[in-house]
Amino acid sequence: MTRMGAIIVGLAAIAAIAAPFFLKPFGIFLISTWAVLTIAAIGLNLTLGYAGQISLAQGAFVGIGAYTVALLTPLGVPFFIAFFAAGLLCFAVGWLLGYPALRVQHHYLAFVTLAFTTLVFLVLRNEEWLTNGIYGITGTPRPTLLGWKTTAARDFYFLCLGVLAVLSFAIWWMLRSPWGRAFVALRENPIRALSLGLDTRRYTLMAFAIGSSLGGLSGALHAPLVQFIEPNSFALGLSFNLLLMVIVGGSGYFFGPFVGALIAVLLPEWLRITQGYYLLLYAAAIMVLMAFCPSGVLGLVERARIALVGRRKEPATSTLAEGAGP
Amino acid sequence: MTSVLAVSDLRKTFGGITAVDSVSFEVRDGEILGIIGPNGSGKSTLFNCVLGQLRPTAGEVRIDGKPTTGMRPCDLNRLGVSRTFQLLQVFPQLSVRDNLILAGQEHQGSMASRLFGRSDAGLGGAAEKMIEFFRLSHLADEQAGSLSYGQQKLLDAAMAFMAGPRLVLLDEPAGGVNLTMLGSLRERLQAYHAERKATFVVIEHQMEFVMALCTRVLVLAEGRIIAEGAPHDIRRNPLVIEAYLGH
Repeated sequence: MTRMGAIIVGLAAIAAIAAPFFLKPFGIFLISTWAVLTIAAIGLNLTLGYAGQISLAQGAFVGIGAYTVALLTPLGVPFFIAFFAAGLLCFAVGWLLGYPALRVQHHYLAFVTLAFTTLVFLVLRNEEWLTNGIYGITGTPRPTLLGWKTTAARDFYFLCLGVLAVLSFAIWWMLRSPWGRAFVALRENPIRALSLGLDTRRYTLMAFAIGSSLGGLSGALHAPLVQFIEPNSFALGLSFNLLLMVIVGGSGYFFGPFVGALIAVLLPEWLRITQGYYLLLYAAAIMVLMAFCPSGVLGLVERARIALVGRRKEPATSTLAEGAGP
Repeated sequence: MTSVLAVSDLRKTFGGITAVDSVSFEVRDGEILGIIGPNGSGKSTLFNCVLGQLRPTAGEVRIDGKPTTGMRPCDLNRLGVSRTFQLLQVFPQLSVRDNLILAGQEHQGSMASRLFGRSDAGLGGAAEKMIEFFRLSHLADEQAGSLSYGQQKLLDAAMAFMAGPRLVLLDEPAGGVNLTMLGSLRERLQAYHAERKATFVVIEHQMEFVMALCTRVLVLAEGRIIAEGAPHDIRRNPLVIEAYLGH
């Protein structure tokens, strides 16, 4: 990372910590939503942006995670056990969902994962004995961590932010390890990667499994944040929305999901004054962005930086900031 | 003499077309074997069958005496068999250095140890040496996609050598490379061969390149081996001349 980049990230972190002290409850709810959705988007960015495997199932994993926590905590299971159970369950299911990706790619894979999302939605809606169907589940409690109660909005926001920070660090660590390079190789040229000894099968499944487990962990925070979950929240719309966050932020950029999720959470609120037109304006803005800069907002920033300071002098050793390109 | 690679009665059919027809040959330790033949004579299909990209219809492949027919390319690579492709195959968004580290990292430790180990998988020094060896030092930190075609060809070859392979199969290394670059590519391949005692199999159209580089040449036409011998004999072989000039 450049020094400039480090300064920007540092300032953003300070802003994220200071923000709840200046916001009303609804504002705190919005930034908590941002933190929770960013976790899911980071997972999708790993699967899609780095490893190049398109998935329209991330919303379903958020759902699986949310229901896992909402169903386990009333049984007396401590939140953090349920939280990890959600991650593990989604890791396993994501691994299985990765198998189709070994056979089909691109839009065919998109259809397979889309079917999976529909399947999960139907299970959540129809298996009333387990999920309470369309009536959903209310009142998932917010946890107490070593005596620290996170019931208040601000406290729960800090919990979400903390989880986001820890998971971001873990993913950053993974991407700077040889795995990050292997994922990019998988995206750019799987046949050549295979001939260089990369077990592309295992890396593909791993990319799916880890990406999905982040979806599950995001869902595990979503349930106590919103305190009401129902199947519709995790239907295709959420998967599309998460895909949009990754692409708008900049697919294959480490900080892409942070920016994409911020835009996806805040823009509809800011455009609320336009009443019924906000979706229209949002859609138009995204079409313009995609037409002029398919590598997303961070791609746009990168372009501007190159135009201003010329080509980077910094060694391109990191796989973290490469971007997937168009 | 031991044979590094032994191919026996290898056949590959696509529907009704027989691309490789009962081909048998051996590659001896330390030699540079050239495989030539007109377009469509089955050279690349033969490579792909040997390297696990395609499953042969019949026949057997052995590496160092061990049967490897049908093994996955990644497992073959870890046995020390490496390759380049006919069309350029570098990772354009990674730097030259990262391309090289990638080419060696799967040979270091296990998947888990690579996750927690060093970012360069302990290959930084080896990559640096390879970059110097192929005279790419001034480009080490550039994205591979920004290099010229000839430079990418050099990188492509360097990647095949990164894991210190026992056997390297080069599919048209000279294709589309200009004469100056061709000279330096050949010279680097020869230098590597002399230094590491590696064994090469080279598919090539460029006759001068084959004649200068290879110690023995096989000629393939319509999926069969029609001639075999030292480069200067092959050049005068009437069967070979006919195969190239048509019927």
